[in-house]
Amino acid sequence: MSVERKKMILGPISPAAPGTLYQQIVDGLKREVSEGRLKPGLPLPSFRQLAEDLLVSVITVKRAYEELEREGIIYRRQGLGTFVAEQGHDRSREAKLNAAQTLLQSGVREAAEAGLKPAEILELTRQIIKENH
Amino acid sequence: MNNLTHAIEIRQLLKKYPGFLLGPVDMTVPKGAIYGLIGPNGAGKTTALDLILGLGSNDGGEIRVLGLDHRRDAVAIKQQTAYVGPELNFALWGKVGSAIRFVRGFFPDWDEAYCTRLQKEFQLDAGTRIATLSFGAKTKLSLLLALARRPRVLILDEPTTGLDAISKQQVFAELLKAVEDGERTVLISSHGLGDIERFADHVGIINRGRLLLEGRTDEIVERFRLAEFFTGAGTAPAKVPGLTMLRQDGDRCRALVDQSSGAMAALQSAGARQLSLTPMTLEDLFVALVKEEA
Repeated sequence: MSVERKKMILGPISPAAPGTLYQQIVDGLKREVSEGRLKPGLPLPSFRQLAEDLLVSVITVKRAYEELEREGIIYRRQGLGTFVAEQGHDRSREAKLNAAQTLLQSGVREAAEAGLKPAEILELTRQIIKENH
Repeated sequence: MNNLTHAIEIRQLLKKYPGFLLGPVDMTVPKGAIYGLIGPNGAGKTTALDLILGLGSNDGGEIRVLGLDHRRDAVAIKQQTAYVGPELNFALWGKVGSAIRFVRGFFPDWDEAYCTRLQKEFQLDAGTRIATLSFGAKTKLSLLLALARRPRVLILDEPTTGLDAISKQQVFAELLKAVEDGERTVLISSHGLGDIERFADHVGIINRGRLLLEGRTDEIVERFRLAEFFTGAGTAPAKVPGLTMLRQDGDRCRALVDQSSGAMAALQSAGARQLSLTPMTLEDLFVALVKEEA
């Protein structure tokens, strides 16, 4: 099978992955912005084009764009299209930090409920960081 | 006409057959949307689609397509509306190319370049005899003949039934392309609820001739949850609007809950314990809603 040569603006999304498709698009675009592959000022495809590319309903992409716009990561100019915001990089980093904090909090809560002491939770965290590097 | 926000508007539609009543149905298909009409066999989907197309006469109510009255402006509607149904019978026309030439002759807006691209995409060679096409290829031919007319409204009655996964994805990719300019609208009935959940912007759920629910697909799916909880002392909860009991085992209960109703608060004040909510797919939701009615 031949490999399709086509622009990819975000990673794969799938009903089999965690989260709704719309949330996956939001997270995927944030990752592209925070990792610098989508640079400030860059035009994004229209939501109808992106829907066609990702094979999802137009409303799914529209909703993702609306959320990213609310968070200040992208902005819309009437008649011109949608672009990555100047502060998009900081905003997506901020959003990622908030998400990380929430996840760590629930991880710590679970560990405490399982009877781990603070020092043991720190040790467990250290191990996880080591495994991921 | 460009200010139109609804491609199809149905108000109090009524159709009586011996032993079957459709309606009264109110239904709104927004312009630029892919609208999925879903329902069990015999629910009235095909009857509703036929009436929109002007096949058969309704016993009450009104249908507006692109702002036009479906009876008074039947000709104008037919010019801008295309239909793909489950009965595919082009074999009489011989070859793929003859069928295309035949249909093309009737429609001044026929888009030859689009037709050529679709022929390539769907691998439909002009010289192939229609009788030798696979079921899936016949469906694609039918879709090509409808799409190349560049209709403003495309009505599809179970076009993906019996298609393999690759063909199904091709069909939906083309439908997404067809609505790309925001001016064209697709109304599709299907039993492939996974596809509808993924591709349709709006859904309507029809059962026993009535539209149970319609709205944005994402909003409908998020509105409902599968709730699990424990009641006190093995008693079933009193009838709560927005809550449909699905299963009970002692004081352990499972129910479909409409989060837009007051059901959650009612449950909690009735003393339900360990309440947990699980998101549902459109398919799970559909089954639970239709079962409730049975």
